[in-house]
Amino acid sequence: MQPGRGARGFGDVYITERPWPPDGHGAMNQISDQGLDAERDAATQWLARLERPDVGEADWLAFDAWLEASPRHKLAYDQALALWSELDALAPDLAQGLVAPVQPAAGRRWMVMAGGLAAAGLVAAVAVPWQDLTAPTTTYQTAKGERKTVVLADGTRIDLNAGSRLTVHLGSRERRVEMADAEAIFDVAKDSRRPFLITAGDRTIRVVGTQFDVRRRDGRQSVVVARGVVEVRPTGDAPGRGYRLTVGQRLDHREGEVEARVGLGSPEAAFSWRTGRLVYRGEPLANVVADLNQYADRPIRVADARTADLAFSGVLAASEGSNLVRTLTLIAPVTSTETPDGLLLRAK
Amino acid sequence: MRHYLEKRANLVRFFAARLNSSAAAEDLAQELYLKIAALPAEDEIQNPSALLYRMGSNLMLDRLRQERRAGAREGAWVAAATTRLGDEEIHDEPPADEVLAARQRLNLLLSELNTLPPRMRRAFQLHKLEGLSHVETARAMGISVSAVEKHVSGALKTLLSRLG
Repeated sequence: MQPGRGARGFGDVYITERPWPPDGHGAMNQISDQGLDAERDAATQWLARLERPDVGEADWLAFDAWLEASPRHKLAYDQALALWSELDALAPDLAQGLVAPVQPAAGRRWMVMAGGLAAAGLVAAVAVPWQDLTAPTTTYQTAKGERKTVVLADGTRIDLNAGSRLTVHLGSRERRVEMADAEAIFDVAKDSRRPFLITAGDRTIRVVGTQFDVRRRDGRQSVVVARGVVEVRPTGDAPGRGYRLTVGQRLDHREGEVEARVGLGSPEAAFSWRTGRLVYRGEPLANVVADLNQYADRPIRVADARTADLAFSGVLAASEGSNLVRTLTLIAPVTSTETPDGLLLRAK
Repeated sequence: MRHYLEKRANLVRFFAARLNSSAAAEDLAQELYLKIAALPAEDEIQNPSALLYRMGSNLMLDRLRQERRAGAREGAWVAAATTRLGDEEIHDEPPADEVLAARQRLNLLLSELNTLPPRMRRAFQLHKLEGLSHVETARAMGISVSAVEKHVSGALKTLLSRLG
């Protein structure tokens, strides 16, 4: 994005001193929720305190110091912030639910709702087999190291990462995108009459209007939401359950598997490629290499499972192109070996 | 720049609470990055963390001014997008399990909110659900601002430890 920025060698390379705690890479499970009580107390107090109108520099310094004192503080705060955002998103519904002085019995409420859903399902079964054959289908593609922004006829903006291909079909009943091996940020124009559906292999993402990153590389998919609400569920008859993701959540899935994992995801990291930076926080090296392969001239591979699972934290500049691997070997505990068919990375 | 990268995540955490939006805080951090990148070399700066804060705060004030203009629009958008989730009409193939999960989550939050002590619940409702500031909530309830703050963080803490 910014010409002239980037080629500054180590200036652009940064590795965090300690593993980033949350970000949905299992960190939630590593630190037991049991003992977080005191941290949660402090975290929620911080959240309320930071809303004061007179918050100043001293508060920032104290807050920063508190966060840095323990990864558990960060975890507790991020959990509190996630719930805080969720409550904001649900505020109208919650306010409505709280107004009623007496809550109806849970059992009754349940029956009514289940009935409503069944009826809706019936309607859908009739309405679905609609195909809009007249609308054109367009394929967008980027080469290695190339990024592209396309604005669709409905106003939706798609930022395509390097080495990506996807097909767009804007129908009158729905808007559809098929992702091949690709990564893209979608800023979906709101159109309640035409849901936006993105199929990435055996998972389909459904939105009304929102911003998020979808990645499908080497049989692994991930979705990170920056704004609004996104639903991810199995495509067609693929097995598995659906999930509803809100701001700051991330879903990871391996194609063919039933399960998907949902955790915290940083839109900051997921969206960074748009500005030419590749930001990772505890990302498995296999995913990092999949990204680098979209920029490097020669194929990069990992030697074994141990190398593939290595957690990498750091920032790389996409403009480094083929030098990315050299940089990687300087900041991660890996060595790179030249082989006839490319570069081989191995954990030290 | 090194300080920025070290502090970026915490700045986002800080401004997410101040702006009441993680996405806005991310945008702000990105803007801050561009400003920092334009600064001369950093070795002369005495207290980089405080400088980051001041630059971030200025950006936040700019942003709040802008948002006061665009705010109503954005707020309406979020409300609309959320209400629609439970609305079968626009879902020509409603993902029943997700709607169900969302409803369950909503009911769970509601039932937890309903078990809060009445004053805590009221403070939380006025501030978080109806959008009154701490001061306005205090005035409406006839209690101190710090009591409002305690109620709000107490309510969140309770929800957090019960639901995560």
